[in-house]
Amino acid sequence: MALKQLPIVPSGDPGGLAESANAGVQRINRPVISDATKIDPIVILFCPDGAISLDESGFVISYKFCKGCGICAKESEGIVMVPEYTGPKGIF
Amino acid sequence: MTINVNSLPQVELFGQGNVGCKGCGAAIAGRQAMKVLGERTIITIPASCMATLGGSNTRSAWRVPFYHTLFECAPAVSSGIRAALEIQGIKDVNVVSWGGDAGSADIGFQSLTGAAERQENIIHVLYDNEMYMNTGGQTGSQTPIYAITSNGSLGKKVRKKNMLAIMEAHGIDYVASANIAYPEDLMAKFQKAAAKKGFSYIHILAPCHRGWGIKPEETIEVARKATECGLWELFEVDEGKRTRTYEPKLIPVADYFKAQGRFKNLTDEQIAEFQKFVDDYYGKGE
Amino acid sequence: MNKVLITGSEAAALGAKLAKIEVLSYYPITPAFPAMERLSKYIDDGELNCKFIRAESDHSALAAVLGGSLAGARSYTVTNSQGLLLMTEVVYHVAGLRQPIVMGVANRALSAPHSRFPEHGDVVSQSASGWIQLFCENNQDILDNTIQAFRIAEELRVPVMVNYEGYLQSHTLEEVFVPEQSKVDAFLPLKRQPALDINNPRGVNTVTSPDFYPYYKFNQNEAMLESLNLIPKVAAEYNQEFGANSCGLIECYQMEDAEHAIVAMGSIVGTARILVDNLRKEGRKIGLIKVKVWRPFPVKAILEALQNVSFVTVLDKNIVFGVGGALATDLKAAAYGRGEMVINGAILGLGGGKCGVEEINAAVMETESAGSDKNKSVWIGL
Repeated sequence: MALKQLPIVPSGDPGGLAESANAGVQRINRPVISDATKIDPIVILFCPDGAISLDESGFVISYKFCKGCGICAKESEGIVMVPEYTGPKGIF
Repeated sequence: MTINVNSLPQVELFGQGNVGCKGCGAAIAGRQAMKVLGERTIITIPASCMATLGGSNTRSAWRVPFYHTLFECAPAVSSGIRAALEIQGIKDVNVVSWGGDAGSADIGFQSLTGAAERQENIIHVLYDNEMYMNTGGQTGSQTPIYAITSNGSLGKKVRKKNMLAIMEAHGIDYVASANIAYPEDLMAKFQKAAAKKGFSYIHILAPCHRGWGIKPEETIEVARKATECGLWELFEVDEGKRTRTYEPKLIPVADYFKAQGRFKNLTDEQIAEFQKFVDDYYGKGE
Repeated sequence: MNKVLITGSEAAALGAKLAKIEVLSYYPITPAFPAMERLSKYIDDGELNCKFIRAESDHSALAAVLGGSLAGARSYTVTNSQGLLLMTEVVYHVAGLRQPIVMGVANRALSAPHSRFPEHGDVVSQSASGWIQLFCENNQDILDNTIQAFRIAEELRVPVMVNYEGYLQSHTLEEVFVPEQSKVDAFLPLKRQPALDINNPRGVNTVTSPDFYPYYKFNQNEAMLESLNLIPKVAAEYNQEFGANSCGLIECYQMEDAEHAIVAMGSIVGTARILVDNLRKEGRKIGLIKVKVWRPFPVKAILEALQNVSFVTVLDKNIVFGVGGALATDLKAAAYGRGEMVINGAILGLGGGKCGVEEINAAVMETESAGSDKNKSVWIGL
């Protein structure tokens, strides 16, 4: 029997979910920065997924983590939600 | 203490890659708290959304030691962790138990009151979405009166149990309410709690859009309305001294209720009852 | 080695003290409480450097001890009967988390009806929990097994229950040889293995899918089975270091030429020795197997001991309703396919019922006359 290499105590690697995140599968709309000068930095703390951050280059949105909830666009100017899918709509 | 958003640590100790729903209020609360608590923190979370969204198989969304405990006993486990750290001479570690409303006020209440009475050097957080969301949104003691839940289609018949008053009655070092729509206030409270030698209790209003019948993007907005209408007062009781930490604008309570699907059956009379209660409480009554 | 006259409760507390436990929690219950009080006194008097968590329930007591263990401290608790049942959820959880916790259990009958007297029913309820279960014949066993339990638990990362009976052992004075502290320190080196390590963070007890869960359970079972190899080694080393006489998995008494064997665990073993001596004087070829390790069940060792035996009387101070005594059931399963050997169970001593030489003798006689109806247990003393 080929056994998986598992820790003795059932447990996970720190930050492991962040490394492999693919939050995009949940996304219907994505946040896009329309005017960075108008973004209220408080939205960094409103994001459930740590998907928006502020570094030397300015605000950065990570589409690896963003699930597209739209809180940032709702709570701040300078961010708009745009549809992930813009192709033709039909009957499924 | 004031918190400057721009000077907060960049490191994301929790949040990125969590497997919660989009717009999760619990995850927002966790992120805000961890910005203040920092990496010298051990967190125990009883059965709840917050426990399940934080780890999957051999991967954890946390970058601090995190333990998904049994439902009833996170504060007891945290007491043991604190004891083990003390015996090993490990200092400057925040030991936090972080329960939902069930894991704190209901099935978890016994171990919470026990640890509080013992004045354990831990912080207990109740992140409150006012129903049992991890099992689909059933009624619990923290569900407000009249709210419709997945097993209460007619709405709750009795009031929400006042956990803040109960915890204040323990005479613990620090008791505070908080709201994810007010991050600076929330984080300042975690800063105070972390500095206490005894037990701290922080009760965070953290809406669940699925249970509340709101849109994901409205999570913060509806949370804010709860405080601005006066129903979710932001205050602290710091070693017995009670202070309101934010003066609400006192918008009509109807603005809060009518935003949510769970209160769709609320009558105008019932809303007026709430409005009178709030007006009286804030000294604006007749 | 120092010789003292102490109760079983004191032997349990002394064992834990010699093991230098670091985190203790308990919720008072009869008849386990004297062991608890003694441990708290050790701490109060500065004889034991240990953090005590005054839990508000048995469930929280084991949860607190679990927290201590997860954060790297040697952790211990004591309970029995209803307390153990309230803990049950945590009992299984501790085993799944592979935490080397040692728990003394002052075995007591379960309610209802209410009883505060000795019986093994409480720990039988935990038979599938993944804890190693050691049974003690006398107060010396309680002390010896408690010290060995930490060694076994920490080497295999499997929790261990040390069972001794309420009142019959917990409140009864016996002479006990006490090992020297320095030698116990050498026997039990402290290797910290914190799962919750502030410098090496991990997410413990993550949601586990079917792709992983069975593997964890397989590993847990392997560790449990490995204890069947480890426990005799630990006992042998203990005997050598301390000049003790601690058995491994089982102890055989007068079994060399025995045709009829009594199999038993706990305090009744000591009484059964007297009966075996008496029957031997009458020319009966009868012997006794003392089961020290009940979980995991030492199938190989017991079957070897029963090689030339044609009839077995199993003494059970417990009843699994609709099935029979737990030990008898285990033995019958173990002996499946072993030809002509008859194994009959006797239920006695429930809720503190008498189980003296007379009752054990009745058990031997009545199991013999019950023939080979394997579905039947004889009830003694009704």
